[in-house]
Amino acid sequence: MIESSSPAPRAIGRVVATEQKPATPHQFQFWTAVDTTIGIGAIVKVGQGGDARTVFGVVIDGFAYSDLVTPLHDVIGAEGDPARAAHSPSARQEIRLWSAAVLRQDPEEPLQPVPLGDVFVASDADVAHALRMERYLASATPTAIPLGLYTSGGLESPVYLDADFLLGPEAAHLNISGVSGLATKTSAVEFLLSSIFQRYPAHKGRIAAVCFNVKGPDLCFLDQAAGLDEDDRRRYERLGLVPEPFERVRYFAPFKPDGVNLNTLRTHPDLVADVSPLVWGLQEVLDYAEVLLNRDDIDAKADAFIDFLSDRVVGKEFDDGFGGTHRVQSFADLDGLFRAIFNGLELASGGRSDTWRTHHIATMRKVRNRLANISTRCKGLVTDDGMPNDLPWGGFEDRTVYVIDVASVDPLGQDLVFARVVSKLREHLERRALGVDAVVVFVDELNKYASADGPETYVRKMLLDISERGRYLGLVLFGAEQFRSQIHRRVVGNAGTIVYGRMDFDELATPGYQVLSPATKIKLATLPAGELMVRHPHFTQPIFVRFPRPAVLRGRDGVERYPPVADLSFGDAIARQLVQLDRRVRPTVVHDLIADRSPEDVRRALAATRQARPEDPLAYFRKVLGTSVTGTATVRTREPVPPLTSIADEPY
Amino acid sequence: MTAARWQDALITAGAIPASHVPDQSLGREDLIDVAGAELVEDARVRAHPVEPADLGPAPISFLDAIQRWKVAYYDGVVPIARGYVAAAVRRRTPADRRLHTARERSREMLVTAVERLHAGVRAALETSGIELLDVPEMAGQPARAQEAARRVIENARVAIEKQLGEAHAATLAADEWLVLDGVLSESALLARHPRALGVIKSHGAQYFEGDDLTLALTIPALHRTSVFKPRGRARNEVHSWYLRLWPWEGNDILFGLLRIEARAFERSPAVAQEVSGWLVRERAPVSTPDARWDRLLYPIHDVETYLKARAPRELLPAPASRLPRAS
Repeated sequence: MIESSSPAPRAIGRVVATEQKPATPHQFQFWTAVDTTIGIGAIVKVGQGGDARTVFGVVIDGFAYSDLVTPLHDVIGAEGDPARAAHSPSARQEIRLWSAAVLRQDPEEPLQPVPLGDVFVASDADVAHALRMERYLASATPTAIPLGLYTSGGLESPVYLDADFLLGPEAAHLNISGVSGLATKTSAVEFLLSSIFQRYPAHKGRIAAVCFNVKGPDLCFLDQAAGLDEDDRRRYERLGLVPEPFERVRYFAPFKPDGVNLNTLRTHPDLVADVSPLVWGLQEVLDYAEVLLNRDDIDAKADAFIDFLSDRVVGKEFDDGFGGTHRVQSFADLDGLFRAIFNGLELASGGRSDTWRTHHIATMRKVRNRLANISTRCKGLVTDDGMPNDLPWGGFEDRTVYVIDVASVDPLGQDLVFARVVSKLREHLERRALGVDAVVVFVDELNKYASADGPETYVRKMLLDISERGRYLGLVLFGAEQFRSQIHRRVVGNAGTIVYGRMDFDELATPGYQVLSPATKIKLATLPAGELMVRHPHFTQPIFVRFPRPAVLRGRDGVERYPPVADLSFGDAIARQLVQLDRRVRPTVVHDLIADRSPEDVRRALAATRQARPEDPLAYFRKVLGTSVTGTATVRTREPVPPLTSIADEPY
Repeated sequence: MTAARWQDALITAGAIPASHVPDQSLGREDLIDVAGAELVEDARVRAHPVEPADLGPAPISFLDAIQRWKVAYYDGVVPIARGYVAAAVRRRTPADRRLHTARERSREMLVTAVERLHAGVRAALETSGIELLDVPEMAGQPARAQEAARRVIENARVAIEKQLGEAHAATLAADEWLVLDGVLSESALLARHPRALGVIKSHGAQYFEGDDLTLALTIPALHRTSVFKPRGRARNEVHSWYLRLWPWEGNDILFGLLRIEARAFERSPAVAQEVSGWLVRERAPVSTPDARWDRLLYPIHDVETYLKARAPRELLPAPASRLPRAS
């Protein structure tokens, strides 16, 4: 926590002002000794307790120059030999001059130019005061979430975010950008989630996180401890946090197209038991069919037909009007219905009729194509078995991370997963029926889902909706991307907390970074791993902080320690999943059971067993394998998804 | 009494505020006279080439002084001048190459014809807390009064420079040199010191005639003249030589020309050769933007800059126009 005691302060600089460069209420300059310890990003204090005005500032630029009038005079002095210039008997007088942006003034009114006083290095208490942290750090109901350590000249001061402004309701959302390859973005989010879980105030309720793993093994080992060095342990201690991996993590991953092997890198035998299959049926897909339609597809007719299917067809006895009765519960059933309709139209009217129950045949064919497309491209995620396995909607647990691994899923499937999960979160939070009061949704590669100049997609509309309204619901978006400039401005504009890792020079040249000084940009372009620049509503200027390495195993370390196993044969995969349900199950028995059965029957039986969670899984599996497994139990009342507002072009 | 209170009292007593900084108040004037010299080295003045050389690990101290003054008030026609003199020794070690203040001294004074002041004005000055110097010559014509004030303040500057130089010379390390800006011969102690040097940039005094003068004033860059003993105004015996830092061709004949003063003793030609070697290395860094950069050693420039930076601002010429203010 903040330490208020400090040694007797010694001035490290002096404010100077000239007519050309005066001190203003927002900026000032000061000089220091040449060998000063401060640098860009350092927080300084002008004036002492006894002074009428105390000002806190952050160094945003630095200048060094000597009394040399023109470089030509140096050439003359060295007689044209650069080697001699360094060996002149006297070193020229030189200066370290710094520009600082004002963080806070005491008193705050009347706002006046910075006094020309002594400059001191900020202490812990000064940093807390300068960043206005004391309001949420020392209040009766503190809402401080440790973010990292402000480090300068040997000082390490904790920097906290205000939970009310990070997770709502005052403001919300966090956006982090930075170049790829340094693992800073993912690490920062992992650390911050851990910090939130440890310090989220009790009076604000229960919180969980949903993380989409979109590349490699990044988030596959959040429950595994990483080795930390002494520096990191000291930083954790300084921040008042315990360096431990997440206690409760639940992993979800779709199957591979074979329908039995999980499509994730967390398949090591020691860990795979924690991974639940993510499997959706027709009903789950139909609710979000809009995701499957591109901009050109979206029209009232297709929408109406999808609605018709959802309301009147799926899960019900349905007469196709040509003498056939259908009970549509799977993609295969639906395709049967489509075939019956097309054949019926062909036969009944000799091909002259092109409408069926007011729906044009072209509309129906388009919807059929799109639905068929997803069942093909996302085989493994979308099942034809009618036995979904989903996140525990309504049963979310406090301080639990739900990792959804879609790294190897087709982009269309990723969109579907993303849209459905976030929409379900929103629905449940609106009804206060999720099981927690707030959910952090971490989306990496945000530029893929909310690009500034990409097509208007359902996913983007949904992200805009979360960005603008999520804070009232407790639905908080933590987005990460390489280039912030490529993200829709309403998404980044609504992020209360902005974090920057090392930035690309080209990115820094974009208009969004005009407010930063050249020195700050240089620092951003060369930022080491583990260091960030942060903007937060309480901080009037960006602040550089260092965060400790997350106490969880990094993805690439995880796959080395727990290498994923090769895909199992169909029989072995079925056996393994049954063993996961009951360790007493003997694989040879399973092999014998499924020897003469079709893979579809076996998958259905396994799905039914998984869903039923019986006392004796093998007996249940044996039982359902001998009967016709239907998805009747999964049919449920459809809850409409509230419409999203259309994307407008007005600035945030 | 605080500055504001004695100044208020002065004005209440009838003094008229003024702010006139005479042209000659910021620096020293050259003396122009014919002195003559006696050669110590060589039969005729010769030019000796100088090889730049390191002094070695020994530190060097540099001494300079400044003076500032202005007419601050008039009591009738009697000017009341405020003067400030300061001197500093800044020391440099080869390892650091930066100058650090070793010692400094300053003195502030009020100079006027005290007897001619009105009683109230005089009382205000006497209670100001600032040293009050009585200069009866300041009672006459203002121009002559200013010249009298200048002399008093310049003497004060010379005195403080001498005091500080002597004090520092007494504490010099065994291999440490002290380089003064100006003549060494003002002080008997410094003139006798084995490691004190005077560096003179102005050449009003003439020591040679005819061909010797020609040779002395036209020596090439990185050359020194034969060592000679100045005659005339030197109060204490010293040995001296000219040293050219920069080529003068294309410039003034005195461009880059220094005259060095050192202790008078039998080995002074050898010392002159050795000292000239490390003095010419002081050409860099160039002490621009000072107009005298060709002769002003950077460390001396540094001491001067230091003293000027610490001098009272109110003794500088007012930056604003002296045109009457519109009422």
